[in-house]
Amino acid sequence: MDYGRPALADRLAAEYVLGTLRGPARRRFEALLPAHPALREAVRAWQERLVLLAASEEGVEPPERVWQGIRTRLFADTRATATAPGTPAGAGWRALAWWRGLAGAGFVATLALVVALNTAPEAQPPVVVLLQANPEVAQAAQAVFGTQAAFVASVSADGRALVLRPLAELPAPAQKALELWAVPAQGAPRSLGLVRAGEPTTVLRAQLLRDTAAFAVSVEPEGGSPTGAPTGPIVSLGKV
Amino acid sequence: MSAAPPDTWTDRNRRLAALLGRVALGDRAAFEAVYRDTGGYLFGVVLRVVHDRGTAEDVLQEVFVNVWRAAGSFDAARAQPLTWLTHVARHRAIDGLRRAKAEPDTVSLARDDDADDGPGEGLEALPDPGDGPLERLQRSAEAHEVTRCIEVLSPEQQQCLALAYYRGYSHAEAAEHLAQPLGTVKSWVRRGLQALRDCLTRAGIAQAS
Repeated sequence: MDYGRPALADRLAAEYVLGTLRGPARRRFEALLPAHPALREAVRAWQERLVLLAASEEGVEPPERVWQGIRTRLFADTRATATAPGTPAGAGWRALAWWRGLAGAGFVATLALVVALNTAPEAQPPVVVLLQANPEVAQAAQAVFGTQAAFVASVSADGRALVLRPLAELPAPAQKALELWAVPAQGAPRSLGLVRAGEPTTVLRAQLLRDTAAFAVSVEPEGGSPTGAPTGPIVSLGKV
Repeated sequence: MSAAPPDTWTDRNRRLAALLGRVALGDRAAFEAVYRDTGGYLFGVVLRVVHDRGTAEDVLQEVFVNVWRAAGSFDAARAQPLTWLTHVARHRAIDGLRRAKAEPDTVSLARDDDADDGPGEGLEALPDPGDGPLERLQRSAEAHEVTRCIEVLSPEQQQCLALAYYRGYSHAEAAEHLAQPLGTVKSWVRRGLQALRDCLTRAGIAQAS
């Protein structure tokens, strides 16, 4: 069959998405998809069309036991439900005191480096924050990574996007996750989600910079902090 | 080039794309946020396919287990998050339906009552859908601008698309279900899809690819 004919490609894509393309024809079609952008585009367009048949404005709220069941099936190892975000609890959270102490003493300026890049003169430059290795947990970081953890965070001027890059190559810690936090001058840190150890991670949020005095990275159990506050050692930190 | 989903989807899709990116990293808080945002909507999608509420709850669990495991394969450049999630939910629901074949099938029961009416006389000649896929197709259509485009399809085309979309029927299964020749059913499906595409394109809901 000549899959290059647009009308045929569109018809096959439609029946593929609808599900009536079966057997060898379906397998042939799937095998062709990776190499044929026009076929992929036709499939995408049909998915957007047919999804309208499945969608309805009013959803049906499922009972809470559905979520409990999902959690049990996926994360049977965790028992604690996340406490409300902002609850100041956990060793990691208290460990931030070292930084706040230093802040009072005026040392923090030397810990952080804020650079204004002028790559896009018409737009406001991004805010660049250096997250340095936390000397207080040097041993813990050494144990996890075999090296010290330092990152560069670039935040767009509108505060909606952040890219976090490891400064040196970090091995992904086994059975652990790295979590990024926005730390206000007062109150509990806000989680910005998990980040990759070995490569850049992009974080999108409405207000990344509002009330944010520093960014911090903590080592958490797989899946992220179970409490909504840092529970593991804060391995790197940088003031905005 | 891009199909335009309902306007209200746009912000939600943007937010969900970011959340799914975090889920791909194993972020449980992001995963719960996806569930809280879309669980009700996807439960609605599942219930359109699977009648039994208990089965539908099981299916919804499978949908999210699937989302957790497959989030890394979600490509925001190629699909809208809600489209992708809907796609996962419909497929899981049809799988659930096939597993629960023992479940009473309102459509095929209705067919027995209508078997003597003679084929090919329009909707009256087709099985009474009851709360079957055709009615669900029309119900979902009511909620959308799609209504008009569903209405331009012939009743036979509507019935065939509904059986394929909500039941996961093949051409052969639909032909058997409707007691119609296979070739006739294939052409209803093909013409129904063409008519749907042309109407949606004219309405500006989904552009031609």
